[in-house]
Amino acid sequence: MAGSAASKDSATSKNVIVKYLPVYFVLLAIAGMEIFLAYQHFPTGPLLAILLALAVCGGGLAVMYFMHLAEEPSSLFLTLIPATIFVLLMMNMFWSDSFRLLHMKPFPH
Amino acid sequence: MEQTQPQSVHVHAPPEGFLWKYVFSLDHKVIGKQYYGLALIAVFTGMILSWLMRFHLVWPNAKIVGLDLISKSGAPGGVITPEYYLSLLTMHGTLMVFFVLTNAPFAGFGNYFLPIQIGAEDMAFPRFNMMSFWTTAAAFLVLVLAFFIPDGPPISGWTAYAPLSAVGSDAGPGLGWGQNLWAISIGLFCIGQLLGSLNFIATTLDLRTKGMTLMRMPICTWAWFITSCIGLLAFAVLLPACLLLILDRMAGTSFFIPSGLVISDRLQNHAGGSPLLWQHLFWFFGHPEVYIAILPAMGIVSHVLVTSMRKPLLSAKVIIYSMISIGFLSYMVWGHHMFVSGMNPFSSLLFSFPTLTITIPATILTLIWLGSLYGANIRITAASLFALGFVSMFVSGGVTGFFLAQPSIDIYLHATYFVVGHFHMVMGVAAIFGILSGTYFWFPKMTGRMMNETLGQLHFWFTFIGTYCIFMPFHYLGLVGNVRRYASFIDDFMPALMPVHRFVTIAALITGAAQFIFLYNLIHSRFFGKPATDNPWDGTSLEWSIPSPPPWNNFGGKHPVVYHDAHQYGVKGEKGDFIMQDSPETAAG
Amino acid sequence: MSEIDIAMHSQGGELAEGSPYRIPSRKLTMWLFIISDAITFGALLFGYGYLRTASSDWPTPFKFNPSILNVTIMTVVLITSSLTMLGAVDSAKIGNKAKTKRFLWSTILLGAIFAGLHIREWFGLIDEGVRLFQNPWGSPLFGATFFAITGLHLLHVISGVVALAVISRGFSRGWLTAGHVETTGLYWHFVDLVWMFVVPLVYLLNISK
Repeated sequence: MAGSAASKDSATSKNVIVKYLPVYFVLLAIAGMEIFLAYQHFPTGPLLAILLALAVCGGGLAVMYFMHLAEEPSSLFLTLIPATIFVLLMMNMFWSDSFRLLHMKPFPH
Repeated sequence: MEQTQPQSVHVHAPPEGFLWKYVFSLDHKVIGKQYYGLALIAVFTGMILSWLMRFHLVWPNAKIVGLDLISKSGAPGGVITPEYYLSLLTMHGTLMVFFVLTNAPFAGFGNYFLPIQIGAEDMAFPRFNMMSFWTTAAAFLVLVLAFFIPDGPPISGWTAYAPLSAVGSDAGPGLGWGQNLWAISIGLFCIGQLLGSLNFIATTLDLRTKGMTLMRMPICTWAWFITSCIGLLAFAVLLPACLLLILDRMAGTSFFIPSGLVISDRLQNHAGGSPLLWQHLFWFFGHPEVYIAILPAMGIVSHVLVTSMRKPLLSAKVIIYSMISIGFLSYMVWGHHMFVSGMNPFSSLLFSFPTLTITIPATILTLIWLGSLYGANIRITAASLFALGFVSMFVSGGVTGFFLAQPSIDIYLHATYFVVGHFHMVMGVAAIFGILSGTYFWFPKMTGRMMNETLGQLHFWFTFIGTYCIFMPFHYLGLVGNVRRYASFIDDFMPALMPVHRFVTIAALITGAAQFIFLYNLIHSRFFGKPATDNPWDGTSLEWSIPSPPPWNNFGGKHPVVYHDAHQYGVKGEKGDFIMQDSPETAAG
Repeated sequence: MSEIDIAMHSQGGELAEGSPYRIPSRKLTMWLFIISDAITFGALLFGYGYLRTASSDWPTPFKFNPSILNVTIMTVVLITSSLTMLGAVDSAKIGNKAKTKRFLWSTILLGAIFAGLHIREWFGLIDEGVRLFQNPWGSPLFGATFFAITGLHLLHVISGVVALAVISRGFSRGWLTAGHVETTGLYWHFVDLVWMFVVPLVYLLNISK
């Protein structure tokens, strides 16, 4: 396992750090941007949407490059990611009750 | 067709000593039997609990000798108190759903036969496998411990609805340490099942022998594989839910406890939580759990039916696709358990639609089983009878699901005996029939001895007729409005229904007693049964190609090579009307 | 039978069909564990969002100094530890044991710094009166969700640090392979990934402006 990988990829470990430095800096930039935006006076809803979008970008970069999912066979990506997203999306059915508890009506408006 | 001779692989030395051979064994076959044994203990405990409950419903003042030794406060002088009735109910549900219906068909038979059916010598991670069993066993011990503490077992049902389950001992007996033990036990159980699911998926995908493509796997291998995929994502939700419940109970948080709750005249020191959140998290796991229980049974039943019918199923592929779509849909329907919980009524509509959709793959499965029977010369054995009984239970119990899936009807039927009858038939007893069918079918392989066929068929008829006698009246009781979870109906209301309850109780006592025929058969045949041949049922899958019982490394240090689909029946082969998966011959027509 | 034998069996070849994903069993299992764990964290974060939305008196107490500043440092530390982990995985692949050990121990050090900063922050909040069941500012669920989510994450970090120490020892002594380093690396990056969601949802939505 180790041998075949080494013959294929002759990069030294120094290069690998250089190779992933752009991802690293983008992740830091995303974190910085999140903190900056959190101090702008957005209402909570839009702020949540922006922060989540940025977090998904950061998470996606980490999964694809740090965890090397981009280099694995695409079948692995197509199994893992849709399954996770599907289950997390289904949990969004919780929200309607959450809003209602505060407003005591089916929809908050 | 390319022909490759079976090749020898590195032969491992079997373990030495009783402890390593039978207790902390890494062998998947021993672990499978351990799971099965655990389920056997749990199922008889659960059954005796149901006897006590049925007995109490009909003769509430009767003294049960010896019960006061287990719980002085719950059964003073042997008479069950209403609270202790709820304790028994909670333990019955928890034991049956978690430790029987999840353990036996999935972890038990799955561990034993999944590696053999794909031609592997063990699971992918034997140590994980052992850890998974012992975590589950620890969960079982922690749960059963609740019987023996002064407080007694919890009274909140197997669903542990908050806030009752979250507020502590103010709310009733068993809600102190009893409920703590329950939450810890279920948390441990989740970890055990997660480890098991990981192992099952890795084994199925990675350890298939040469020629065993995914579509050549037997249907029950597919069922275990799909079940482990469901379990991997479902138990991952129950685990944090249990953590939050434990925090609520032990650290004073109020995730599931609303503000201003007064219990036993005492204002609870909690604020801001939501009991609905527990129901959402619990049923997000709970509905997939139903399919974790029933899918392996479906797989076992398909396997037994196709072997008994001596002809292929109408379409094995459609069965597999239907099971996959059931698994997929199982994540979209949990809200149908919550129509009357105070959930947003708009959500009820959204949950009702996929719930009715899930009946489509279920109906397709039933139609394939029944359609395949047409023109089949079925061999009547205890195993095939129980498989047919499964189909019968699944249909009878499933039909009432159409009613309960619609919010407007469910509002009337919810929390009545109708629901109890529905889920006992479609999920409880049906899965038990799958387990029994698998037991009669695979016992020769697991022990090298045949079970007594006459006793087996006797057991079937008692169980089959008995089950209908118990659970069919439940539906009528529910339609009349008989509520579930009430400890007594004598003094308060509905005395007119008592004859029905009496009939059900007598049926339950007889059906339960008939299970001891099975227990006797199981133990007696283990030691004195007729020796079994390698392939007593003329099966085609790989487990029938090796000796009974299988040697330590399954295939004797060789790897079989697979040439055929799993279910080659009704063809002219060398040995009869079937072709083994690892036989290089081609069908003669 | 040892797991290594079975893992080698799963490499395919003459004897087996081989994985449809063409990756070792151990790595596949780690990926499956990761998605399962992601759903565990997802369920916790959904629970937090649910309760936050349903509360009318949710407090927003995090000040820039110390909390957000601390979180910024922790984020930088954790993302940097992912980078050193990448170095460790790569040096393990080419079989450079000394370099692997160095990279692994820098990861462990960064992980330990993260845990230390996190615990310091916890103590700061506890000093201000935040408990699992109450806090000085509003809904008691603030402390409950905060400690539950960050506590589970911290547990992951600490077990990751322990795992990395074991892996480092095992790899330099030769009883663990580069595959083990890579699998643990996956886990470590996942811990980093969870933090990327915890920071905006648990901290940045609750800052005092």
